[in-house]
Amino acid sequence: MTNASPLRIAVVGFGKLGLLHAGIANGLPGSKLVAVCDNSSTTMNVLKSQMQGVETYSDYKTMIAKGGIDAVFIATPTGSHAPIAVDFVNAGIAVFIEKPLAPNTEQALPLMEALERTPVTNMVGYMGRYIDTFAKAKALIDSGALGGLQMLRTSMYVAQLFTKGKGWRYEQKESGGGVLITQNGHVIDKLLWMFGDLEYVTGQTNTLYSSTVEDYAHAYFAFKSGLTGFMDASWSARHFRTPTISIHVQGEHGTLDVNDDDVRLHLEKAHGDLPADWSIWRGPDLYQGVPFDIGGPQYTRQAIDFLEAVRTGTTVETDVKSGFKTQSVVDAIYRSAQQNGAPQFFAEQ
Amino acid sequence: MTKSPLAPIVLGHNAFFGVDHLSAARGAERAAFFADPQNILDMIHTAYDHGVRGMMMSTHDRAGPVAELIRNDPKLSQDMAIYPLLPYAQKYITKANEMGLINVVIDALSGSGLKSKVSFLWQGGKGVLTKDVTGMLSALIRLELNIFRGLNMPAVFLHDALTDLALGLELKDIFSFFIEELDKNHNSQGSFATKNLPLLQQRFKEWGLPTPTVLTHANKIGFHMNPSLPACEDALNEGVSNVMAMGTLASGYLSPDEAYSYLGQFPTIKSVVVGVSSSKHADETFAAIKTNGWDNT
Repeated sequence: MTNASPLRIAVVGFGKLGLLHAGIANGLPGSKLVAVCDNSSTTMNVLKSQMQGVETYSDYKTMIAKGGIDAVFIATPTGSHAPIAVDFVNAGIAVFIEKPLAPNTEQALPLMEALERTPVTNMVGYMGRYIDTFAKAKALIDSGALGGLQMLRTSMYVAQLFTKGKGWRYEQKESGGGVLITQNGHVIDKLLWMFGDLEYVTGQTNTLYSSTVEDYAHAYFAFKSGLTGFMDASWSARHFRTPTISIHVQGEHGTLDVNDDDVRLHLEKAHGDLPADWSIWRGPDLYQGVPFDIGGPQYTRQAIDFLEAVRTGTTVETDVKSGFKTQSVVDAIYRSAQQNGAPQFFAEQ
Repeated sequence: MTKSPLAPIVLGHNAFFGVDHLSAARGAERAAFFADPQNILDMIHTAYDHGVRGMMMSTHDRAGPVAELIRNDPKLSQDMAIYPLLPYAQKYITKANEMGLINVVIDALSGSGLKSKVSFLWQGGKGVLTKDVTGMLSALIRLELNIFRGLNMPAVFLHDALTDLALGLELKDIFSFFIEELDKNHNSQGSFATKNLPLLQQRFKEWGLPTPTVLTHANKIGFHMNPSLPACEDALNEGVSNVMAMGTLASGYLSPDEAYSYLGQFPTIKSVVVGVSSSKHADETFAAIKTNGWDNT
């Protein structure tokens, strides 16, 4: 493969995220959508009638056998992520896997092993790290301006479910769980990214409308750094039109609040270029254009990082290993909830 | 070049439906106030008194009652141009989580009460449907626009999520279909919202399609302007013909004065979307528009 020839991109699972990844990868210079696989014949027929030069498949194994693919975006229901990814990895094809990685860590293990044997570029879709406000917050935390971190509170709410849900997302076997593993997975990914590894976690979950997955989850985190705090998550929370994540952390020298809209830092005294008192960065302060935007710049930046790593045969931050770590925290919260909140300790990682 | 179907000042709908790109919390507060369609109608009258003769309308669940109130208002139904923005993506995304995208479309059509108009759906089930993609899209457009029937709709905008997806996938036929369908069956100009103005311009040129009317972000800090502020400014200077500018305050980041004086330099900007959420806010906003030379009569 040379830099001159565009990367040949495949997508497996052509729902809303599959469409989004296909559109971004095809819209960016240097990559071209060449193949799509989905088990809905309706979807594939619609696609075939509208797009020339894109092969359509109902079985991803046929797609692999046909060859001619440099990287694949896997956006199927969670339960099939790992088995599909393993087959692509074994064929030496770079894999992007939508989050969550798998319903649980156990089901993700074969993928970890496959990547040991065939270390292709790999990524899990925790795109929240590419949102301007959270990237800024991470940089502020890393600057040490807050001093030793003392306490944390965080939430993820969305008004999504107020009757019994239908479809794979609400079937524990397929999805791995409810709000905790889906939208709130982004929170856990961000916390590990910002604050490092955990010593232990405790959790409670509750079912409001669903029968096999939780609609509400609550967790207490103790980080190895000594930082402690709690998390609330619900997809049955009124008044939240879109998924809304907030993180508040207090340190010896100040506080930091971050959500999708802004970052607010309060410092007792100046730290380097950062003045004492309030500093506020809003979305427009931090915004930088991307070559091509469909669903928000974070998706484009994520795709650019992945595709660049594929081109250069390197790795990305949110790789399968990192997704596995996030998954292990999700698993621990579910285990704790089953044991009525018993603490779950993490071995040295 | 296509003829401008745009009113100079167009009332935005985001505040009415709880959308706020600077603050989700503020959005939720406004949504509560505008839960009563009468409050929306009052705000439309306030804007009308300031000379506003156009209004953006998504196909949010609340749009139906508002459209009904406008229809029953002799002054508004006569003078106010409605610019639908479709589809209201959030509505479909929530359902798509449960049943998959394609089933949402089928479901929407079968429950639409437009059975006779989309009878092809029942002639041979999904197999027939898939061979008639344009028939399906035509029915979807009809369904989405149904709540605005009888109102004056000089242009209909395709939501930027779909425009930009179609740009990414290079679906030329979708664009020409949308333009033709709106012209033929709705006596309206098929137009496009986009966050990628220069790319849209480039693709239309490559495809040999006339430059369409577009709805796009325009503000001096480049918020939601891709790939960059300078590239979008080039397009606004000469690349496109009729532009309706949105996001001009960069979600409340810029003052109305800063925002509207910036827009004045671009000959292609024929229209500006203005969001107002209270009568005090409306007075300030429209005063700034007048000061900066926008014709709002």
